[in-house]
Amino acid sequence: MKNKAYVPYFFIAPAVILFSVFMLYPILYSFVMSFQTSVGGIMEFNGIENYKRLFSDEIFLKALKNTFILLIIQVPIMIFLALVLANLLNSSILKFKGLFRVTFFLPAVTSLVAYSIIFSIMLMNDGVINQVLMSLGFGAIPWLSDPFWAKASLVLAITWRWCGYNMIIFLAALQNIPDQLYEAADIDGASRFRQFFSITIPQLKPVILFSAVLSTIGTLQLFDEPYTLTEGGPSDETLTIGMYLYQTGFRYFDFGYASTIAYVIVILVAIMTYFQFKIAGDSE
Amino acid sequence: MKKRNVKVRKFGLYFLLLVGALISLFPFYWSAIGATNESGSMFTKPPTLIPGNQLLENMSNLNEQIGIGRVMFNSLFISITYTIIALFVCSMASYAFAKFKFKGRDIIFTIFLLSMMVPYHATIIPLFKMMASWGWLNQYQAVILPNIAYPFAIFLMRQNMLAFPTALIEASRIDGASEWKIFYKVVLPSMKPALAATAIFLFMYQWNSFLWPLIALSSTDMYTFPVALSSLFGLSRIDYGQVMTGVTLATVPIIIFFLSLQRYFISGMLGSALKE
Amino acid sequence: MKKFKIIVLMIMALSLFVVGCSSSDEGSSEDGKVELVAWAWNVNVGALEDAMTMYQEENPNISIKVEDIGRSDVYDKLSTGLAAGGVGLPDIVLVEDDRIQSYLEAFPKGFANLSELGFDQHKQNFPNFKNELASLNDSYYAMPFDAGPGGMFYRRSIFNEAGVDVDSIETWDDFFEAGKEIKEKTGVYAMSLDKFKDDPTFRMMLNQLGIFYFDEAGNIDLTHPKAVQAMEMIKKFGEADLIKDVDGWNGTVSATVDGSTAAIPFGAWYYGTIIDQAKDTAGDWGVFLLPAFEEGGNRASNLGGSSFMVLEASKKKQAAYEFMEFFTTESDVQIMAMKDYGLFPSLSSAYEADIFTEEIEFFGNQPIWKLFADEMADVETPYFTKDFSIGLDEAIKAQASVFNGEDPATALQESANRLADRTERELNQY
Repeated sequence: MKNKAYVPYFFIAPAVILFSVFMLYPILYSFVMSFQTSVGGIMEFNGIENYKRLFSDEIFLKALKNTFILLIIQVPIMIFLALVLANLLNSSILKFKGLFRVTFFLPAVTSLVAYSIIFSIMLMNDGVINQVLMSLGFGAIPWLSDPFWAKASLVLAITWRWCGYNMIIFLAALQNIPDQLYEAADIDGASRFRQFFSITIPQLKPVILFSAVLSTIGTLQLFDEPYTLTEGGPSDETLTIGMYLYQTGFRYFDFGYASTIAYVIVILVAIMTYFQFKIAGDSE
Repeated sequence: MKKRNVKVRKFGLYFLLLVGALISLFPFYWSAIGATNESGSMFTKPPTLIPGNQLLENMSNLNEQIGIGRVMFNSLFISITYTIIALFVCSMASYAFAKFKFKGRDIIFTIFLLSMMVPYHATIIPLFKMMASWGWLNQYQAVILPNIAYPFAIFLMRQNMLAFPTALIEASRIDGASEWKIFYKVVLPSMKPALAATAIFLFMYQWNSFLWPLIALSSTDMYTFPVALSSLFGLSRIDYGQVMTGVTLATVPIIIFFLSLQRYFISGMLGSALKE
Repeated sequence: MKKFKIIVLMIMALSLFVVGCSSSDEGSSEDGKVELVAWAWNVNVGALEDAMTMYQEENPNISIKVEDIGRSDVYDKLSTGLAAGGVGLPDIVLVEDDRIQSYLEAFPKGFANLSELGFDQHKQNFPNFKNELASLNDSYYAMPFDAGPGGMFYRRSIFNEAGVDVDSIETWDDFFEAGKEIKEKTGVYAMSLDKFKDDPTFRMMLNQLGIFYFDEAGNIDLTHPKAVQAMEMIKKFGEADLIKDVDGWNGTVSATVDGSTAAIPFGAWYYGTIIDQAKDTAGDWGVFLLPAFEEGGNRASNLGGSSFMVLEASKKKQAAYEFMEFFTTESDVQIMAMKDYGLFPSLSSAYEADIFTEEIEFFGNQPIWKLFADEMADVETPYFTKDFSIGLDEAIKAQASVFNGEDPATALQESANRLADRTERELNQY
């Protein structure tokens, strides 16, 4: 074998160089900043003061709580819905598959600016959605101003945007489940419902894990939706850690403390990912 | 009996999917309607759900405000250049990660993945400082370069590369092909679906990217679509007709891009690598 | 290998092209021409550009490039540039009055001291509150520009239908009674408010009463009896179901267009929104001053407004100052900004222009600009301090709690306590 040792390094070099300069360096820099505070516009070290401050910062703790509530509710709902949709789209009797696929994926391609303006107008007290609800005989829902419904709005909006994205991932993976498994189940007389839970889901386990990890990262960093739809309100009920990080830096000018919050997010993501792998029993 | 069953199932299936499709598409429809009506019509009761005749008027207003052609050029130029370079850099790296054993491989790969966990807001100040010291502010490369080595793209490509038969690579080596040629002529051509799927993600990311372009670009003639749209939000005088026209226009290219590559999308998404 | 080389060459060529395209941002070039760069949003952009055309008659070598940036985007960019040590910034930036002090305290070396450049001579041309907002330690750091004298923008037809005479409304209690009348007869709400996400009405009331979140010494003043009084008034309207709950800016616009609220308390700048969005309602609008808290009490208030700051890092500080001095202190410029862009001036000499006595057709031939101009002299100074954003956050929470049933005094006390925690400021005891 004349496998020259430098070959793989040649292939990763461009990525590693660009990554080190434009990602790794800023990441390390902000890690240093997490031990600093601004004194009259100049950053100075203040040890682990920022980290200590976190534990007594009620707003941070509230943001942490909100983020976890959203995480626990939104991620499973979305993944389940995406699984169901993928399963429906995979049905052999369905026509226009490509069209449906595109339709469900479209929300994921919209930009933050576009999506925020559309949703904030649609979700207003007398916006389109409530008008439709009222014409169907339901009451109007205070989507953005009630503590409960504001959270629900975020869940709905995020699900709208990312469900199709996850669906595509599952749909891809469904192609790899051997047909014989379903045929055997048919012969045994198992219902579609039964097949979904005892064949589809177990077969897709690694992919579901993959989706769950990605969504968890997304939710723990969640910023777009609370920033544009609820501004974290009412009374911080929809304030997420990601948004608090932004406010602390860009609105209250405390970039040191903001970096500290960022590293808390990193640690949380790492822990959550670790547990997700543990629960899924994946040794890889 | 069985036949009826299939009919009921078919009906249920289509019904569910159509409701889902309606929910997915309504916001798009609604913004397109907004683009054809006057500013205030977004707020009428009952809601305005049919097209109006203000599209041209809104277009010309919007053009006056942000210069549609220029913004479209910037967005396309940045996104396409970015996608091509990133696709190239990421597939090279993922090839090495998938098909070579070398010192530091796992650590480097893990660092790539871990970086996805850092919220991007935290890196803006250092990145900005760096760009400023190089005199790169307000230039295309300031927006194009930072995320070229996109961890998710490397991950996605690696999964697909893993599935590529190693025997084929070995065979080419025995035939005396250079390492580069193997990658470029043997491996890459079979990766079309994966490249298409990755391209969609890369393009999507760059096209919609907002905060960094906003910070890094400061002159109006360098603006990308999201930044230009955001500039329509002053304190009190927002022309919603203009905004909706802009929103709709900004969505069209990315939909076209997606549609043109979507037939590869499913097969390229994960390859068969996540299957154990 | 060949193709790879081609691609590498292409990428290099591309980056050269890109680098080549970039403009140099040096100070003045050899021929003495100076191009200033300003960041501003919306209608302010046009006003600056037009003013430059006027300025060029005497100063042909100066030009300006105004970058049109979304309002909150300006702050993101400004914060980043200042936090990165004063790089990538323009020469001139438009900042809302409530944020000036935050920036000055957080980045004391970020902005040019305008008193040193000679702005003190213009002091008597601006109302007192504008001067205070634009300066720190008796030095100007901002040049006062537009203001937002407060008023109730109301729908004539709705008031007429309910048989309510606007002139009879002098106090908030009067307006409360009128509101009940209106609600009963027409089913329309008395006023609009984003109950859970914004507190403009509360801020205007505090301003009327001569207090704010903070006092002059920077202590927290949310528990002031007058603040409680203001919050109680808002609660009273809420409990009688006279407040139309609107969601954010879009919601306010919506209520303006569809006539679901009889009046909207806002700054003078809301005129622009009304004429843009509610074209079909021309002639049906009017304005009256915010009602007083007791008979004969202060009805003057201000909401919003902005000023121009010059960046210390600018290489063209002097030129930037001179142009902005022209912009902010020349009546003709201010009158142009008012006429063409609806930007209400705070420069008192501008009020002598015809437009300030004109009858405005859209507003039922009421001379609304006269009303606003007369109001300006009586506006008290709200002390925003560095922590305005946090104060705003807490005041909104207090208001939200009140609408969720809490007692105003308690809600304000809780907010004030949290505010003290977050800002390490003293809390005034009453």
